[in-house]
Amino acid sequence: MTDAQPIRLLIAALGGEGGGVLAGWISEAAAAAGLSISRTSIPGVAQRTGATTYYIEMVRATGSAVPILGLNPAPGEVDILLATELLEAARMVQAGFVTPARTLVIAADRRVYATDEKVAMADGRAGKEGLSAALARFSKRLVLADLAAVAAASQSQLNAVVLGVLAGVQALPIGAATFRATIRAEGKAVDANLRGFEAGLKVAEAGAWPAPRPGPYSAPHPAPYSAPHPAPLPTDAREEGMNAELARFPPEARAVLREAVARLTDYQSAAYAARYLARVQRVAGEPGADGAFVRELARHLAVRMSVEDVIRVAQLKLRDARLARVAREARARQGDIVDITEYMKPGPEEVLGLLPPGPARWALQRVRHDRSWPLKVRTTRLSGFLRLRLLAGLRVWRPRTLRFAEEEAWAERWLGLVQRALAVDPAAAREVVATAALVRGYADTYKRGLANWTRIAEAVVEPGLSGALPRAHFADAVLQARLAAVKDPDGEALAATIAAITRIAAPETLAAE
Amino acid sequence: MAEVSFHREIERLRLGDGETFQGEGILAVTKALLQSGVAYVGGYQGAPVSHLLDVLLEAEDLLGELGVHLQTCTNEAAAAAMLGASIHYPVRGAVTWKSIVGTNVAADALSNLASAGVTGGALIIVGEDYGEGASVIQERTHAFALKSSLWLLDPRPELPTIVRMVEKGFELSEASNTPVMVELRVRACHVFGAFKARDNVAAKVSAARRLGEPAAFSYERLSHPPATFRQERDKIDRRLPAAQTFILDNELNETLGPRDGELGIIVQGGLFNVLNGRLALAGLSDACGNVQLATHVLNVTHPLVPEAIVRFCAGKRAVLVVEEGAPEFLEQAIGQILRKADLNTALHGKDMLPAAGEVTPLVMAKGLSAFLTRYGRRVDPLAAWLDEVEAHRVAVAGVLAPLPPRPPNFCTGCPERPVFSAMQLLKREVGPVHVAADIGCHAFATFPPFSQGHSILGYGMSLASAAAVAGTQVKRPISVMGDGGFWHNGLLTGVAGAAFNRDDSVLVIMNNGYSSATGTQDIPSSQPNADGRGRGIEIEAALRSLGLTWVKRVRTYGVAGVLKTLKQAMTEPGKGLRVIIADGECQLARQRRLRPALAKAVAAGERVERTRFWVDPEVCTGDHSCMRLSGCPSLTLKPSEDPLRTDPVAHVNTDCVGCGLCGEVAHAAQLCPSFAQIDIIQNPNAWDRLRARLSGALIRLLGGRVAAAAPPPAR
Repeated sequence: MTDAQPIRLLIAALGGEGGGVLAGWISEAAAAAGLSISRTSIPGVAQRTGATTYYIEMVRATGSAVPILGLNPAPGEVDILLATELLEAARMVQAGFVTPARTLVIAADRRVYATDEKVAMADGRAGKEGLSAALARFSKRLVLADLAAVAAASQSQLNAVVLGVLAGVQALPIGAATFRATIRAEGKAVDANLRGFEAGLKVAEAGAWPAPRPGPYSAPHPAPYSAPHPAPLPTDAREEGMNAELARFPPEARAVLREAVARLTDYQSAAYAARYLARVQRVAGEPGADGAFVRELARHLAVRMSVEDVIRVAQLKLRDARLARVAREARARQGDIVDITEYMKPGPEEVLGLLPPGPARWALQRVRHDRSWPLKVRTTRLSGFLRLRLLAGLRVWRPRTLRFAEEEAWAERWLGLVQRALAVDPAAAREVVATAALVRGYADTYKRGLANWTRIAEAVVEPGLSGALPRAHFADAVLQARLAAVKDPDGEALAATIAAITRIAAPETLAAE
Repeated sequence: MAEVSFHREIERLRLGDGETFQGEGILAVTKALLQSGVAYVGGYQGAPVSHLLDVLLEAEDLLGELGVHLQTCTNEAAAAAMLGASIHYPVRGAVTWKSIVGTNVAADALSNLASAGVTGGALIIVGEDYGEGASVIQERTHAFALKSSLWLLDPRPELPTIVRMVEKGFELSEASNTPVMVELRVRACHVFGAFKARDNVAAKVSAARRLGEPAAFSYERLSHPPATFRQERDKIDRRLPAAQTFILDNELNETLGPRDGELGIIVQGGLFNVLNGRLALAGLSDACGNVQLATHVLNVTHPLVPEAIVRFCAGKRAVLVVEEGAPEFLEQAIGQILRKADLNTALHGKDMLPAAGEVTPLVMAKGLSAFLTRYGRRVDPLAAWLDEVEAHRVAVAGVLAPLPPRPPNFCTGCPERPVFSAMQLLKREVGPVHVAADIGCHAFATFPPFSQGHSILGYGMSLASAAAVAGTQVKRPISVMGDGGFWHNGLLTGVAGAAFNRDDSVLVIMNNGYSSATGTQDIPSSQPNADGRGRGIEIEAALRSLGLTWVKRVRTYGVAGVLKTLKQAMTEPGKGLRVIIADGECQLARQRRLRPALAKAVAAGERVERTRFWVDPEVCTGDHSCMRLSGCPSLTLKPSEDPLRTDPVAHVNTDCVGCGLCGEVAHAAQLCPSFAQIDIIQNPNAWDRLRARLSGALIRLLGGRVAAAAPPPAR
């Protein structure tokens, strides 16, 4: 009987990003270092961007005995986990492969969102904090660093950086020189891979890896606004007036209000921004409206009052900061020419909504509902620029349009519900505020959102206000209805939830049936 | 040309006596075929055995030197039928495919081949696509071995044993005149290891040394009555005992550990490593497989050799049969052997191991623990490990919520995705439609965000599976089929059948130019080029030759056009099959060709135009309806920069290949105005620069701003 214990290494990766190459490097280097190895993988069709794993066992060969190495990782028996993405690392924790007694985890602190996370109508992302906390809790040692950023900085691939970190933490009886030789022997993109390897090596040797980029989960509420924003900034004198103005509001709400005022001034006018503040104040004065409540109210109202109508979209697309940003994101180089073509397809509501309510309604009844005007506007060319310029110039006309009138009516209706709810139950009012997020988007998405909101207002909020729905259920009912509305685009979940709420609201009717 | 390049592997196929071969299991099989003097090779690609054919297609020089005939079979039935060459002639042949599905397709030819029997060794390398990572129905190939009297090898998953079994497999086949299947599980196909190579052997009869004359007529070689009655008896009376003798004489099965002792284990060869790992944990083995509990390793799982089983079991109180999947063919057979030998050894198997599913380390540990405990053996370390695993599972469940799954998806820029976007939009206009799905990349449309497809009946079977649906529903069903499926089976089973019956049905053929899901292998309609085997055989011409008149071609990326054509196909009056050929080259193959060429052109200072898409984060409202119609990996999320919005916004990452689907979907579904197309002209020429300067100047003149200078270089 031999006592030699194999070292067991598991790689969790996404299909098509070089996990197989990484596994190849490790096993070839191990073989070169005189270890007996076995490597296998479950690629299958997972190579097409799905989750995939590679598994390696290596043992120092002793004498003539041939080791019988495992092809399957076993829970609690993985010494090293390499993961190129946070969710995949956490998946290995869930599968039992990461244990405090033995597992060193080297993971790239980045998220590549799965389809289920992306298609959610609100925020469906698996929390980054929860994923890394699970890794920290169940690993023996954790190297969690933004290795993708290291790869980008060294103009190399993530898998080479991961290899470098693995070499650097010296968890394997394989020297860095052997890994380098393996990369060279493979003969593909040798320079880039060596750059990545050295960069990874440094990450490990420094012991202090780059802090993860602040994601939404490290700062659950919006970090201080720092993005380049084109809104006209108030001058010092205005600033003072503004500060005095904001002093009337709870401190928690002031940052949002300041941002909102700047945006609405840019969107329409200073007078429009003043109307916004007056609206917020109207509700903020009610009993039960605490700081957090006012902040959320102010946030939602500002978003709705700066709705992206055709005029606003044109205005945003003419931003001067935009071209530089686009060029940077498109990785354009010095001397390249960058053209932007905007895809727009306004429908009858968007186009005719620019008319005053009377004529607009008249025309809307006569135009085919599914009519729309596909536009591809090249804003970097004169004709495209002029067209958008013309649209953006309609800003002064906006208050006369149907769309504006409709938005104003909606805002008043929503604010009215919020105010009445505050009198019944502040917790419910908070939920009524949050329903504003349902109304957003363009065309069908907008219509569906508005329809859902209206259903909730009529079938849940009104019964709550009238007392038909017991007060104890009010807040929760609004919350459940809002969550159901973003569950599926077809509104099935919302219909079921409203039916359930209706049963609570009118148990007698049900009993009578 | 296939997705993976095998230049280094091809060098390894040339290794000679005593040299060490290092590589994947399936490539070791390839080398073993050459060492066995194989005369012809073929098969149909599919995970996990695709590489066997891919590497041979690239190794044409070597095959030429050895005189090996290589056939790119159009399906598994063709591959199995090709083994017919070994019925009369002393030539060794090997074919490969993915099982169980490939074996199903090959079944007719396999039965006839097995009945007639073979003269030259006939080997079938089947990739047992079972358990984790499998992409097909979960059934055992073993059933085919039993019903057709084919021998089934299930080697221990290490290269020397795999290679020995391939070499011995040919001999076994010839010694018993029976085709032999070598079964390799997914992990075994991909296992990387080493073995001592031997020289390649050129066959006596081959493509290089052709036979001058065919064999003489022999009715006994035909699978036709009355010969079939004699052949059936021959299988039992002569071929089976011959095989059993060969297996014993050559010690193909291995008995390990102490011969005596009251307990024993009989295990499929392919599962031995899992067993050994758990025995080692229990203190009953070590890392080198020195087992301390009598273990009979079946590298041949059919036929069993009763006398060997009896010898192993005699004197034992109990044996445990470790066997994967259902039904428990081995356990049944061993039970019968014990009964007939009047042995009282207790038999365990599926009473202690689950009837269905993969034998993972955890499953093995539970079964082993139950077995040993039952017979009073202490299993402390094993039990402790199982307790730890369970405690850990509970602890993790308390911390980590269920994680979102990550199934495979269409690649970035895949030409098939837009067709499904169009089908989603079609539903809005004509209501729900029955969709018959098929095998291929397009089956990824069964996953979110599309979640389309009512049934999958096999490769190229979609149209046939919709026949009765078409006959019993108001709306025409839509069948989706790849060009791979079309040539594999769909042309005859589906299209000819529908044309013959005048089915009122819609067929969408994804014409991406390759068998993409299996690794972009060439198919008959692939475009001919220098390194490929494509012949450019026209799908449309094939359809028209069947008398079909409603055949339309669409460019897949034009979502509005696809939608319009689909609607036409669904709503136009009249009867008969409507076929839409959706043209769009596999993006994997395209990028593999384009990327290096473009990089070269840019480096050489040539004018290159590059396109990608962009989402304006200020215009995006974060409702993600674009993602529900796309699912492109490069269309993803990022945190909103807007302090007034909390939900993440859409974002196109740098993987974007500029296929244009985002913009098309935004238009076709009238989604939102946040998508923009960015065209980057690298190394612009004088005209480009003049045009840009002129536009810039005019825009500035009118109060607009354009980037004053060239943008800062990318990070």
